[in-house]
Amino acid sequence: MSEYTVVGQTVARVDAVEKVTGAAQYGADVHPAGMLYGKIVRSKHAHANILSIDTSEAEKLPGVRAIITQDDVPSGRRVFATDKVLYLGEPLAAVAATDPDIAEEAAELIKIEYEVLPVVQDVMEAIKVSAPRLQSDAAKDGPNRREISAQIRKLTRDKENDHSDEISKLEAALEEYPDEVYYNISAESHSEAGDVEKGFAESDVVVEDTYVIPRVHQTYMEPHVSVASADSSGKVTVWASTQGPFAIRSGIAGTLGIPLTQINVIGTTMGGGFGGRFGVIITHVPAVLLSQKTGRPVRVQMTREEEFIDGRPAPGCVIKIKTGATNDGQILAREALAFWDSGSVSGASIGSTIRVRGVYKIPNLKVDAYGVHTNKSGTAAYRAPGAPQAIFAGESQLDEIAERIGMDPVKFRLMNMREEGDPVPAGANEPKVGYKETLEAVADAAGWWDREAGENQGWGVAVGDWTNGCGPGGVYVSVHEDGSARIFHGSMDITGTDTMISQITAEILTIPYESVTIRRGDTDSAPYSTGSGGSVVTFTMGNTAKLAAEDAHRRILELASERLNTNVDNLELKDGAVHVVSADPPKSISLGELAAYSLSTTGGPIVGKGSFARQASTPALAAQIAKVEVDPDTGRTRVLKLVASQDVGYAINPMAVEGQIEGGTVQGYAWAMMEEMQYGENGNINPGFVDYRVPTSADLPTVESVIVEVPAPNGPYGAKGVGEPPITPTLATMANAVKDAIGVRVTELPIKPEKVVEALKSNGHGT
Amino acid sequence: MKGFEFFEPTTLAEASQLFAQEHTQLLAGGTDLVIGMKALTEAPQSVISLQKIPGLAGVTTEADGSISVGAMTKVREVELSADVQKHHTALAEGAAEIGSIQIRNLATIGGNIAHASPAADTVAGLLVADAQVDIASADGERSVSIDELFTGPGQTVLTPGEIIIRFRLPSPASGSHYIKHKIREVMDLAFIGVAAAVNLDNGTITDARIGLAAVAPTPIRATEAENLLRGNELTSELLQQAGEAAAAASSPISDLRCSAEHRREMVDVLTRRTLQGAVARA
Repeated sequence: MSEYTVVGQTVARVDAVEKVTGAAQYGADVHPAGMLYGKIVRSKHAHANILSIDTSEAEKLPGVRAIITQDDVPSGRRVFATDKVLYLGEPLAAVAATDPDIAEEAAELIKIEYEVLPVVQDVMEAIKVSAPRLQSDAAKDGPNRREISAQIRKLTRDKENDHSDEISKLEAALEEYPDEVYYNISAESHSEAGDVEKGFAESDVVVEDTYVIPRVHQTYMEPHVSVASADSSGKVTVWASTQGPFAIRSGIAGTLGIPLTQINVIGTTMGGGFGGRFGVIITHVPAVLLSQKTGRPVRVQMTREEEFIDGRPAPGCVIKIKTGATNDGQILAREALAFWDSGSVSGASIGSTIRVRGVYKIPNLKVDAYGVHTNKSGTAAYRAPGAPQAIFAGESQLDEIAERIGMDPVKFRLMNMREEGDPVPAGANEPKVGYKETLEAVADAAGWWDREAGENQGWGVAVGDWTNGCGPGGVYVSVHEDGSARIFHGSMDITGTDTMISQITAEILTIPYESVTIRRGDTDSAPYSTGSGGSVVTFTMGNTAKLAAEDAHRRILELASERLNTNVDNLELKDGAVHVVSADPPKSISLGELAAYSLSTTGGPIVGKGSFARQASTPALAAQIAKVEVDPDTGRTRVLKLVASQDVGYAINPMAVEGQIEGGTVQGYAWAMMEEMQYGENGNINPGFVDYRVPTSADLPTVESVIVEVPAPNGPYGAKGVGEPPITPTLATMANAVKDAIGVRVTELPIKPEKVVEALKSNGHGT
Repeated sequence: MKGFEFFEPTTLAEASQLFAQEHTQLLAGGTDLVIGMKALTEAPQSVISLQKIPGLAGVTTEADGSISVGAMTKVREVELSADVQKHHTALAEGAAEIGSIQIRNLATIGGNIAHASPAADTVAGLLVADAQVDIASADGERSVSIDELFTGPGQTVLTPGEIIIRFRLPSPASGSHYIKHKIREVMDLAFIGVAAAVNLDNGTITDARIGLAAVAPTPIRATEAENLLRGNELTSELLQQAGEAAAAASSPISDLRCSAEHRREMVDVLTRRTLQGAVARA
């Protein structure tokens, strides 16, 4: 049995009532007096030179109060495009008007002259010499050419010996790889461990495939919104729907050159984030600029269509992957080459390609990843950024290997999983993680070992790993005269984190969960807090709250020691009162009495402070099993069973943890089976929920979640971040189940009916 | 949304006169119109609500067994009508495929048809029911067959001022079935829709009707396939021929949802399935 009374329990969320009754204040609920409505003016072409922007007609429209372009950005930092646009929907100007319809009409009245340029949307086309260059002419060598070029450079540097013969041979060898000069590369990342060529040579089975993963949107319910109000003193207040108010504060300060403490960011209740709610320029900066120009509060709110054309979704990518193993099931080598669609800017989680290594003892590993410019908006984080894509490729191919060598997919994974102390390819040694426990738990819960499959039915398994982030945070805990405690902090509640912080505080202070209230401050009032992303909040704010409550605990014992006239070593805080240990008759004083007493002491009221920034995190594993039935004639797939286990370290609120497991798994399912941002010659062609399909509850059965607890040494009560891991394996889980059902693999997501029918035809079905 | 004038006439004559003007739109359930107006793909100067005109809603079964469905009948009511479910199962199944329950409680069958989307979910069921469409205007009433109503995507034979007021479903088939090809289980648009209805006499198909949605510029009947079926028993060979004939009758497009080839293949598959379903219910 648990030694704890509040943590480890399912409790109602602190915000349950306000969410259910509609009292919660979201960004669009903020409406200061005199507020104007902003509208971003967007490019109508995916790639074009801007010849002119004429705002004169729009300015004449009654109700228009300001129109801004890049000329109105005093810092000169790029907020609006000026001479060239790189994607459909790229911001060119913004309007503020007294009414949203007027703002929209004014936006339409702004005349923009374009010189349309050739467009490239597909990463594999964008890397070719024939592709239009989007950001620069720079070309990058692929893995083979890189290696040869490095040798040439090395030999050339050696002036003492003559290597000219060798150099000319190497130069000739370079000619063998003309297709390995990549264009439109925005970033690259390379890692290597061991010798993959040797590993493949020693392998009995080598499988090589290419996997294609589409760009998907985070599809949070609430579109981006901010309300900015600049007063005559230069003070700027921003109500922002964001995961990280402090990041928005520094972002606005940096972009617009406003002193940091002249900006107050008030985080509003978030309608979902999933990593996509950190952007500064997307709505916050235009709102501030418009407010500065008009002297009135201005709201800039994206429509759902704007979310699709100018949000910051998760990058798609193409991963070529090769794995070698022995006939008895030992993985010897893996090599991956990935092209990530980073859109018009750099980035796109290319570093996550390393996750193709999974949680396996792969002695020889080589990973090359490139970010590629295309005529799309930039990308941002989405729940375990980059991991679902890389793990889809890695875990799909593992099943192909298992099939070739005739091994059960779960046994094959268990056999290759790393254990405590094992070296991690291109990483540090493995800490204690419940890899095998988690996979075994899902296999047992799903009935894997005696699974049955009817006609056109199949089972799939996959695992995904992820490690929570860590960041700075500060928390104050005050204890009041009625014995209750109040937490004050600055981190945005995401998926119930305020509830978790409250539970930890109640646990330390030995009071009921209901006696704790929590208040979030704005950036003017609250101590600094890291953004609520990267599964960071439980780890960071949980530790921070624990430190604050422990600090309060110390002061409580100090006060009790004065009051009860005994040494603190003889005192114990229990059930909301301080007791003298083994006193006969019992002697105690309640927290309320101590809080009242504290008000007239030299030391003062009970205020605990917690401050925390860095500790090593521990990886987490999510393991999932799906059973599906595929209709071979229509290609439609029905999920019959979906079971998800996860090593969460310690579940501070089990129901909230299950909610995270279910939510992540469903998002992974959606990415596998239906979600995809589609692009035509002129940009995104499905900018709405009619043709961008998110699943409904009718699409899949209740996800059965299984909590596995292998404590993380530095987590509060052993807890790890739980938000991101559950999305990581689902893409492969679904693909592996479909493969098992129909005997042929769909390597390009989403697994739409048409692709299944095509795959079956290629395999002889219906002929 | 652009500004507009809003009218709530209480008689059809009044509504028809208003609707005969240019730049006007009728408001029935509003589930298509309001979205269009928000997206600025529709910008009527006048919106004429049909909601205050009495007698336009409801499902009535006549003495001869024919069923009359008022144009303002909510799609949800069509879906749940016991008589529609029993005698025109394909229509009830089509109605049940539209949007969510909330949408179906707003949307009307008249709006679903007058919008003239080739992918409308009630249209294949009306086609195989041989529905007659009653149309009113200031000049009186006329009636057209449902398969003569549509002239193109979003286009019908309705002239300015004409308003669909009811659908009459004569001689019920003894069994019918509708299947929609889609990705998402609910709240998806039809990639294609197929309805089949059959009358059986001792195992022999005396009449067969096949309606296809989203495979041509307008909803169509697969008459070639129907002719193959009439007077015959449904063998697996005949089923295959009917499927192929229906697929041949379609002229689908490729778009972001799927390719023309996939649509044509699905016409074949779903024609066979809906026929089997219709026969099983007959």
